[in-house]
Amino acid sequence: MKKPGCLALLATLFLFPAAAQAAPEKETQLIEKGRYLAAASDCAACHTHDSRHPYAGGNPFLLPIGTLYAPNITPDRKAGIGDYTEADFSNALRRGIGKGGKPLYPAMPFPSYARMSDADIHALWAYFHNDVAPDPASVPANKIPWPLSMRWPMTLWRIAFAPTPAEARKSAERHFPSQETARGAYLVEGPGHCGACHTPRAITFQEKALSSDGNDLYLSGGAAVDGWTPVNLRQDNRTGLGRWREEDIVAFLETGRNLHGSAFGGMTDAIVHGTQHLTDQDLRAIAHYLKTSLPARKGEAPWTYDPAVAKALQQGTLPDKGARLYVDRCAACHRTDGHGYAPAFPPLAGNPVVMNPDPGSLILIVLRGSTLPPTEQAPSPFTMPGFASLMSDRDVAEVVTFIRRSWGNNARVVTQDDVRTFRKHNGQWIDDKPPSPMNRASSPRENAP
Amino acid sequence: MTASSSSRRRFVRNAAGTTALALIPYQGRPAHAGTSEAAVPFEPVFFTPAELEFLSAACERIFPQDDLGPGAVALGVPFFIDRQMDTPYGKGELWYLSGPFHEGPPQLGYQLPFAPRDLYRKGIAAADAYARQRRGRKFSGLSANDQIDLLTAFEGGGVQFPELNARMFFEQLRRNTLEGVFADPVYGGNRAMQGWTLLGFPGARADFMDWVDQNGAPYPFGPVSLARQPL
Repeated sequence: MKKPGCLALLATLFLFPAAAQAAPEKETQLIEKGRYLAAASDCAACHTHDSRHPYAGGNPFLLPIGTLYAPNITPDRKAGIGDYTEADFSNALRRGIGKGGKPLYPAMPFPSYARMSDADIHALWAYFHNDVAPDPASVPANKIPWPLSMRWPMTLWRIAFAPTPAEARKSAERHFPSQETARGAYLVEGPGHCGACHTPRAITFQEKALSSDGNDLYLSGGAAVDGWTPVNLRQDNRTGLGRWREEDIVAFLETGRNLHGSAFGGMTDAIVHGTQHLTDQDLRAIAHYLKTSLPARKGEAPWTYDPAVAKALQQGTLPDKGARLYVDRCAACHRTDGHGYAPAFPPLAGNPVVMNPDPGSLILIVLRGSTLPPTEQAPSPFTMPGFASLMSDRDVAEVVTFIRRSWGNNARVVTQDDVRTFRKHNGQWIDDKPPSPMNRASSPRENAP
Repeated sequence: MTASSSSRRRFVRNAAGTTALALIPYQGRPAHAGTSEAAVPFEPVFFTPAELEFLSAACERIFPQDDLGPGAVALGVPFFIDRQMDTPYGKGELWYLSGPFHEGPPQLGYQLPFAPRDLYRKGIAAADAYARQRRGRKFSGLSANDQIDLLTAFEGGGVQFPELNARMFFEQLRRNTLEGVFADPVYGGNRAMQGWTLLGFPGARADFMDWVDQNGAPYPFGPVSLARQPL
């Protein structure tokens, strides 16, 4: 991007009369807007698999029907979308129709992108077409066996479940209490496609609501993605964002951490590629929209801190085996009082992830560990080690149950069977460990007699 | 400054003094009283069977079983050292081992071209030869008192092996034995954390913030290892 900027500057200073300057400068602004929207839309989450090949695709989606690979969307004519016209580009983004009429899998969040304005699509087009470097890397062919590999059912799916761009625009232009709310709604429901993960899907795979005026399932928490369970973003007091303030949400999207919790799983990508690059104004708009447009679904009794367990542990009493494991393995960072050392080490007391009815994320983070992503504003990548090799299914059940029921948390008990089932179905995500000195590839303990 | 360092000392003393007793009920079994736990047999990766015999006998003399707890063999120290010799440390990859070599004052540092595993290979052969020559038997065949006599002689520096002074070998053996007694069980020694239990050391829990302002209170939790522990 440096180059066109310099050229434009040179052009402005020396070469062209004033009237001719407007065009390249406008073009530069358009490309910058497109770059910003690409971040806001987190295109890189799926289309950049290897950071040395931005937007060259290849990210695998392991679905029950087989493996999909995100395509190369650089302007390479053979491997990428170099032969797309702007109309083709717009059709792919907003209607889920690739060049030549090929229907896209709804892994591409076109039902959300359908809300995007013509001006924004034009800016994205300008950026991808003129600024992203063509990359000849071709992605592997999808591994989906026939007959599931047939694409035509996707057309039926689209007709049945995806809004047309006109319908989507109408919803996007509905009445909002303020400009700020409208902007927040546009970013969350449109380019941000937050609902792709955070809204539950029907058995036919469509999101059960696409906007805050749809129904109260919108952003109420989705099914597991790569083993992680996306949380409820509505105002529910215990399992949602009811106790987060707008500035907490802004801090989270900017740095991946705040006084209430830390990012993990797919959200780390969304923050690293996406939200950390948004302007403060846009982040505040998102936070304002989330706080004001998504009321609680359930009348959860407000969470209040209960000091009983912390007091017992501080006096050396261990009420159960889960408590002992917690003191041995967790308390150094998350503390016996469950407050952690936020924002470095997240609190577990009152954390919506901990009280999620689905304990999947909690089980996975105990087994696999996690690394907090470094961002521009918060560059420290704190790592939690995984305990898969140290804890049996029963150990994990005990410690997770302890965490879910201490300090005023009231989530349901997790059984050994729950952990066994989770381990059986999520082996690949458990083994996909973050690199750290504490997660060495081989350890001497495996040689012990 | 005086107050803080004295309270730190008190903390350390309390930790060392009070926990050993408090651990017994926590462990659910007597952690000492001379219970002889048999050594677990294993397939050495570095030592030959004959070397292993020497190693077991010698490290048991250095850290013997007694009324307070198990000795080096029951703690898995020979296994620990065998695996240790298979690490970059054991292979000398962490040391400068090129010349020039000059005998001199200790501050000049290590002056032999041998990696730890070479010290064992050469040292054990020479020590067994020395035992045969002086006492008519290999080291492991001698009585405990004879073994102590020989080790004492090695430690004293008066015995010269063909390629090194016996004191170098003894120091290597002594250091690695104590590492095997007190290192985290994840590395193969300190079996069932009994080395730590003996000291009242709480292990790898890594955080004692709750106890910083509880002066004099016994630390109630038993040790914890980096390795998997049964519930």
